Amino acid sequence: MRPRRVVLNVAAAAVLAVMIFPVYWMFATAFKPTAEIQSETPGLWPAHPTLEHFATAVGADGFWTFWRNSLAVTGAAVLLALVVALLSAFAVARMRWRGRGPFIVMVFAAQMAPWEALLVPMFVIARDAELLDSLAMLTGVYFMVTLPFTIVTLRGFLAAVPAEVEEAALVDGCTRFAAFRRVIFPLLAPGLMATSLFGFITAWNEFAFVNVLIIKDQDKRTLPVWLSSFRDVFGTDWGATMAAATLFALPVLVLFLFLQRRVGAGMISGAVKG
Amino acid sequence: MRNRLLAASAVLALAAGAGACGSGADSGSGSGGAPATGAASGAPAKLTVWIMDGSVTDELIKQFETDYEAARPNVDLDIQIQAWDGIGERVTAALASTDAPDVIEVGNTQVAQYAASGGVRDLTDKVADLGGADWIPGLAQPGNIDGRQYGIPWYAANRVVVYNKDLFAEAGITAPPTTRDEWLEITARLNKGGNQGIYLTGQTWYALAGFIWDEGGDFAVKEGDRWKGALDTPQAMAGMDFYKRLQALGKGPKDADEANPPQHEVFAQGKVAQMINVPGGAARVLEVEPDMKGKIGFFPIPGKTADKPGAVFTGGSDLIIPEASKNHDAAYEVVKALAGEKFQTDLAKAMNFVPNRTSLAHVLDADEGTAAMAKGASNGRATPNTPNWAAVEATTVIKQYMTAVLTGKDPAAEARKASEIITETLNSGS
Amino acid sequence: MAVAQTPAPPRERRAPRLPGRAPRRPGDPRGPRRLWPYLLIAPAVAGGVLLLLYPMLRAAVISFQRFRMGELVRGGAAFIGLDNYRELLAAEEFWAVVARTFAWTGINVVLIMGISTAVALMLLRLGRRMRVALMSVLALVWATPVIAATTIFQWLFQSELGVVNWALTSLGFDSFRGYSWFADGTAMFGVLVVLVVWQSVPFAALTLYAGLTTIPAELYESARIDGGTGRQVFTKVTFPILRPLFALVTSLEIIWVFKCFPQIWVLSQGGPDDATTTLPVYAFKIARVLHRYDLGSAVAMLTVVILAVALVGNLRRMLRQEGAES
Repeated sequence: MRPRRVVLNVAAAAVLAVMIFPVYWMFATAFKPTAEIQSETPGLWPAHPTLEHFATAVGADGFWTFWRNSLAVTGAAVLLALVVALLSAFAVARMRWRGRGPFIVMVFAAQMAPWEALLVPMFVIARDAELLDSLAMLTGVYFMVTLPFTIVTLRGFLAAVPAEVEEAALVDGCTRFAAFRRVIFPLLAPGLMATSLFGFITAWNEFAFVNVLIIKDQDKRTLPVWLSSFRDVFGTDWGATMAAATLFALPVLVLFLFLQRRVGAGMISGAVKG
Repeated sequence: MRNRLLAASAVLALAAGAGACGSGADSGSGSGGAPATGAASGAPAKLTVWIMDGSVTDELIKQFETDYEAARPNVDLDIQIQAWDGIGERVTAALASTDAPDVIEVGNTQVAQYAASGGVRDLTDKVADLGGADWIPGLAQPGNIDGRQYGIPWYAANRVVVYNKDLFAEAGITAPPTTRDEWLEITARLNKGGNQGIYLTGQTWYALAGFIWDEGGDFAVKEGDRWKGALDTPQAMAGMDFYKRLQALGKGPKDADEANPPQHEVFAQGKVAQMINVPGGAARVLEVEPDMKGKIGFFPIPGKTADKPGAVFTGGSDLIIPEASKNHDAAYEVVKALAGEKFQTDLAKAMNFVPNRTSLAHVLDADEGTAAMAKGASNGRATPNTPNWAAVEATTVIKQYMTAVLTGKDPAAEARKASEIITETLNSGS
Repeated sequence: MAVAQTPAPPRERRAPRLPGRAPRRPGDPRGPRRLWPYLLIAPAVAGGVLLLLYPMLRAAVISFQRFRMGELVRGGAAFIGLDNYRELLAAEEFWAVVARTFAWTGINVVLIMGISTAVALMLLRLGRRMRVALMSVLALVWATPVIAATTIFQWLFQSELGVVNWALTSLGFDSFRGYSWFADGTAMFGVLVVLVVWQSVPFAALTLYAGLTTIPAELYESARIDGGTGRQVFTKVTFPILRPLFALVTSLEIIWVFKCFPQIWVLSQGGPDDATTTLPVYAFKIARVLHRYDLGSAVAMLTVVILAVALVGNLRRMLRQEGAES
């Protein structure tokens, strides 16, 4: 038994190292002075750590505006998707109706949508509806990109909440809505948060749509635009890009750690229990 | 003053009974002279200008904005610095929109493509007003499609050899090379110990362009009304062969271009004897390594013979006015100011660029780097002038060809393959 | 959408039956109450029609038109029937790209599922501290934005200053000194596979692990007592129980990998020599590099068709399952 354990732990450590290395390298590079980044023998950690790249990144034009926009658009899209998806998920998980099967299949199929190819039609639609330079349009697109997956996932979380709980509340004289709000919703909270993380990451990352839907009103651009701005005619400023990438990943990581602590590993396993 | 003008234009608009658009006529005959054009035609005050990241310094553009607005109280300039990533799509979207930015800076090799789409304003009748006879050809020609001027030359730059004076002295080299053979010979001497003779990345296609032109070849040639990729001609292959021999005298990555990592950062390490860059690159070196001050020298890219410098690609920018701009006349005033003598002089000095007109070439004399650039510019050339050239650049076919040859694939076969792709791309009507 | 993943697309669960709402056959005429489900899905349907179906239809229309940069800017696109599809299907390149896309999807999905299963089984057996550490790292990778991750990989595999070549050379593989990963088709393909697998494993592994924890320990024990080896336990007990979860994760991964775009575009632009041009990259190249939006839309339409055909078995099984439930 003993050698097996050792082998297992060594293997786990190897997986851990391989998985974390690229992320670690991003952090480490962000703190290295430019001369060290270009050194022929890369050091595993910064010999002379510096914050200059972070200063460059934060000091770039419009950082705070983009930050605010990203948060607003991402937040709005995720919230909207959660609410809309919850309604659908409830209908699918708790009710019987004609067309339920096809609806589920359509939701699944909607994940195949070739979003990159919809860029031009979407641009034309936005232009004709005078919705260019509009954060609402952008929010709508991100909402739709995340909606199908949100429905699929939430439906599973909802199905995992035993119906008996709801029934008990109904017997106690709650209305259907009150039963939902007081009983199901708290049980569903981890699922809602886990699902929202997916939407958050997707919308937070998006570059192609914001690039063509926000044209003249530069103050409406989002953070991915900023992340790609450390490149000019002379080349990419790696240090600043890595620092920016670190800052860019930070909100997602913080959100994840927050959710992780709050709901623990049960967040994931809870959903799968059938 | 401002209120009265606004009031007057409001009355005009009411009187016309419709939107106050498109009254270019009264702007010309307006009483107050040029500065009043915008208001006289009832145009809204805000003008949006797109300028690429790295084209101007912050101070210079702020100064321009302040001066311009001071001279024209009815104009509010909104100058937006554009990031390079995704710029092609952004400009396309802008041209296709209903309310585009009023002035856009675009690369000189890109103008034809945008003009062909019909989204760019034809400025042929303004050429005389802008002093077009004096424009440098490397910028004016790409802006001119079938005899119509769409792009207004803004600035140019061509590449020179930037070298490390210390390393040259160590190797006992006293004078810069004047011919290609000499250049190879001294570079080999510099490529010793831990030092690199030259840091030339595998995909620096601007440099390859010059070598190919020197041999009498080109990327593509026009036969009748069809374009044909020409990388597989003996001339072009000779150019590539020279590139390969030069590239081998250093440790430039074969599968990357000069931007990844930025070559000025590599040069700043002090172990690279030469790099091919625009003179402005020297300033970037100093940003990374201030100790290099006074140690950076420049010379024009050597040609095949000593009497003529090597051919160089004239890179640079033109200014365009989108048809979808709502303020054509006011936008033109901005273009005129940006392309005018005053700003051109400031720009050339601040950025080490070649100004858009030959009569201003003298402003470069004072600086060692720009002097070398001006010498090279006398043999400056542009890429094939067709709307589809931008697509050839975007497919990165030339870069991939270069990497293939440098990593030991058969040059003839690769050249043939790349030429076919270029032929196909250039002839796919858009 | 090739972007990132979420925790836990859960296993199917039978919808519970509420007492007192007895006959729930579809079409049962029970007045306004029957309207509720339709009202509940209305916002989702409206969103889908407006923001997905309508743009899809516009894209379909464009694929039957001559629609290039000029038409985008000036308007006035003319219908040209099936010309775009004809041009596409006649091109040898298109079929090469389709084949490559299948190879790309196959290789990635097999690796992702294999590694994820191994990691999930490993998580199940690890001690608490190590398990938490590994799970946190997986979460960290999963949460790293695609743009950032892709940028890092570009930097890791840089030929002269990249840490991968430095490490390989230090380990004595001298042929990797200055090796150009991005110059060779196979090497480039390999680097992209590593990137995509690295990004995808966390979601799949965490989900499968969550599934594994739901299998009662007694099942394993009785299987062991019956003399089953580790592999037999997996194939006879674990896998059959988790088959629906495997199916769901696999089909999601197929969709995501098939449609994967930003990673490839940023690292290789589909090169060298088209070695990494998959369908989405091909569509992008045609549409936005050559400005042939018409042909690009045709590629996208065919992509959807191909993907739907590839997953038709899965969709049908889903439909059957859902039908059986009600």
